[in-house]
Amino acid sequence: MKTKLLLTAIAAFIGSALYAADVPPVGSAAPEFSAPDANGKTHSLSEYKGKYVVLEWFNPECPFVKKHYGSDNMQKLQREYTGKGVVWLTIDSNAPGTEGNLTPEQAQKVMASWKTKQTALLLDPESNVAKLYGAKNTPDMVVISPEGKIVYEGAIDSKASPNPADIPSSTNYVKAALDESLAGKPVSNAQTKPYGCSVKYKSS
Amino acid sequence: MPLMQHAPSQPRCRKVRPMVVMRMSSWQQLWIGLCAILLAQSIPAQNYQGRELVKATLLTDTSAIVPGKAFTAGLLLRMAPGWHTYWKFSGDAGLPTEIKWNLPPGWKVGEIQWPIPLKTNDPGDIQTYGYQDEVLLIQQITPPAKIDISPVKLSAEANWLVCEKICIPGGANLALELPTASSAGAATAAGSATADPKNTDLFARYRRLLPQNFPGAKTADATWSRVDPELRLKIVNEDLANYPIVDFYPLPQGNTIVGHPSVESRKANEIVFRIPIESPDKNLSAMPGLVVFSKFPNGNDRAAWQLGTPAIAVAQAAQPSRGIVTFLLFGFVGGFILNLMPCVLPVISLKIFGFIQQAGQSRQKIFRSGLAFTAGIFAWFLALALLLIALKAGGRDVTWGGFQFTNAYFVLGLSVIVLVFALNLFGVFEISLPQSMTRGLLASSERKDNLGSFFQGVFATVLATPCTAPFLGTALGFAFTQSVPVILSMFVAIAAGMSAPYFLLSAQPAWLRFLPPPGPWMVHVKQFMGFLLLATLLFLLYVLGAQRGLDGAIWASCFLLIVAIACWMKGAFIVPTASATKQTISVVIMLALVAASGFYFIGDKFYSSKIDPAASNAPGDWQPFTPERLQSERDQGRAVFIDFTAAWCLTCKFNEKSVLESGAVREAFQRHGVVKLKADWTNGDPVITKLLQQFGRPGVPLYVLYPGKSEEPIVFPELLTKSILLDKLETITPAVASQ
Repeated sequence: MKTKLLLTAIAAFIGSALYAADVPPVGSAAPEFSAPDANGKTHSLSEYKGKYVVLEWFNPECPFVKKHYGSDNMQKLQREYTGKGVVWLTIDSNAPGTEGNLTPEQAQKVMASWKTKQTALLLDPESNVAKLYGAKNTPDMVVISPEGKIVYEGAIDSKASPNPADIPSSTNYVKAALDESLAGKPVSNAQTKPYGCSVKYKSS
Repeated sequence: MPLMQHAPSQPRCRKVRPMVVMRMSSWQQLWIGLCAILLAQSIPAQNYQGRELVKATLLTDTSAIVPGKAFTAGLLLRMAPGWHTYWKFSGDAGLPTEIKWNLPPGWKVGEIQWPIPLKTNDPGDIQTYGYQDEVLLIQQITPPAKIDISPVKLSAEANWLVCEKICIPGGANLALELPTASSAGAATAAGSATADPKNTDLFARYRRLLPQNFPGAKTADATWSRVDPELRLKIVNEDLANYPIVDFYPLPQGNTIVGHPSVESRKANEIVFRIPIESPDKNLSAMPGLVVFSKFPNGNDRAAWQLGTPAIAVAQAAQPSRGIVTFLLFGFVGGFILNLMPCVLPVISLKIFGFIQQAGQSRQKIFRSGLAFTAGIFAWFLALALLLIALKAGGRDVTWGGFQFTNAYFVLGLSVIVLVFALNLFGVFEISLPQSMTRGLLASSERKDNLGSFFQGVFATVLATPCTAPFLGTALGFAFTQSVPVILSMFVAIAAGMSAPYFLLSAQPAWLRFLPPPGPWMVHVKQFMGFLLLATLLFLLYVLGAQRGLDGAIWASCFLLIVAIACWMKGAFIVPTASATKQTISVVIMLALVAASGFYFIGDKFYSSKIDPAASNAPGDWQPFTPERLQSERDQGRAVFIDFTAAWCLTCKFNEKSVLESGAVREAFQRHGVVKLKADWTNGDPVITKLLQQFGRPGVPLYVLYPGKSEEPIVFPELLTKSILLDKLETITPAVASQ
């Protein structure tokens, strides 16, 4: 059994302590944000204007996240859609001192050992991006259109369980939303209830 | 040992159990598989980093099983300090605990009864509902009437998610063995087991934490409204003032995404909750949930009312999502079909005769007469629509069909009209408008004819009103939930449907060629139609019997007999050839007879006829419906079928005879252990009216199946068929049968 990743607190990030924003509704403009990735490079949403962007809230300690990475389900999606020109931003919004918070080094290690295929793994220890999007779960998925509108938000798939055996019989909502969007069709199931662990916000 | 609960003896397996699924290699999967086999009997504890997080135990409230007698089983989860498992609705994160029973064939298990949970707020405005330290999830188990083996092994697989700062899925295969006993407290020869209460305190403690049924209209009132994008729930109750903390724990159904309920306003005996709806459920008008009271937040004194059985919320989902145009079309077709109803056909046939006789007359005259008839139909429907809109605006419960038919005096009035009309068709007397009315007002005979046509139209419609044709029910049910213009257009559509044939015939008299020429046959048909009306009268008397008993029907018949005599007097003595004195005396006697008999038979005898409620209730294996009964059966996990019916509802009778009481359906009901409830709306029971409205129906018939485990009731079409019913019954098998 793979040893569990050890976690230490690090806060190299300054942000405003916005509080608990409501979830921006599907169809509204995706809030602008910028955050550094595991290599220290800053990514902002606006630089990806003109492309589909997927946001994926992440916590390597969460069994629901492990369900999709342990089964290679998430990596497969990342590989397939980044291959089609989609920008995939995985976001770790867990506060320092909580389970799942990652230092840049730990983030690199997780990416390497799990063979992840996202565009970038963003570190958001002040949970600023999570607050902007009202993200409460890991995984919590958002799909943004090239025009910067939210076209999907919610769960990754239809079966709320930590059991990887449920994946083959689930409907993957993110895949459906991306396939429909890329084919120029409206997303038929644009909002679902996300399931998983909670995003570990900083205690105030 | 009745309770099999082995302490795990394979430490390596224990380590794997709280599995970290990530990068599970095949040898690890093998290990887990192997462990699962080794520990198939029981894995009661979940360990994590050397700590025991959750200890699971299966318990019963009895020491032995009595065949056929339901008992209670419970899954006891003991969590390590700081860790929690989740309620049926876990909130913003987490997962509800699952229990999958593995019972011998013929055993049944009810749904999980969840104690009132604790509400937790985590940083980032994350709200969850769950249990700390310990929880007992209670389920009722019903053994079959005959048990061959003793002891009986009951096993269940439980799965949960336990969280502190981090979440870990856990699970256990649990089993327990119980001996069988012949009856409570008595020992069987074979096993010498006695069925004594067990774990009494524990079960009592958690039963106290179960939500209560909503107390009902007498002591508390719950009102839902929609203020987009929120639902508002108003609770009015005297005791509210005693509880500093009153909260609403939502139970969203289906794909509904609910935000965090909050208190909008609070007065002494009234509280209003705001329940944000984040998913685009436009039609959602209510949501099941718990109204939770306590002195302190998450206090141990917490009590709750279970609100809005799923029926309320799903009533909206059950409503067809067809467009307005479709419904208007239904209304039109329904109106057309009304013409063929036996209570309307006689009036209609008269109108057709009118056309035949007019065949030689000028087109204009025919057209005007047809127009007048159509106007009569429209006038009645619009008057009715306005009346209903006024009642609705006044906050009254408005329903169709039964709106009139549940009132015994309406039925009596209709009986009088039908009888008088039948006697008229038989030729006992002629209807003539009083001279005073016809003078001035109706100078020409054509004017008189047209007024006659108008009233014929009204009359046809009065008779047609209660004949809720299959299409009309759905169309009107839809209309009543809509705005005033939609209600009006719906009634216009029905009126148009009903009057379409005459309007077309009078506009295109050439089509009259297809009808036979006038002749003596018309008199015979007319008289025959009189018998159709007498048949209608028999039906009305049957309804009166159902409403007021045999006595009521007989007293009503006595009055009808006097009315018939009065009609005969009218035909025999009040004729132009009779002298004025003779006519006056006849009128006085007629009126006196009708008034006296009305006063005695109706005002006294009929008025005091009451039906014995016990005798009227559900025949055979049908049980009378009450909301409490429905709730308790559903709480016990049984599937429930409700037949909403009324004595005067012919469609209901037809469906009952041809489908519900047919051999195949009876057998299927029995095989699936469905509890059959009959909701009798003959007298317009307001409780049943309310439920009908929740399903968006204006009246009976309505057929609803509550499958055991599934939350959503299934609503059947008004014209029930065996195949539809049997199909749906098959789908409930896995929910209630042993598994």
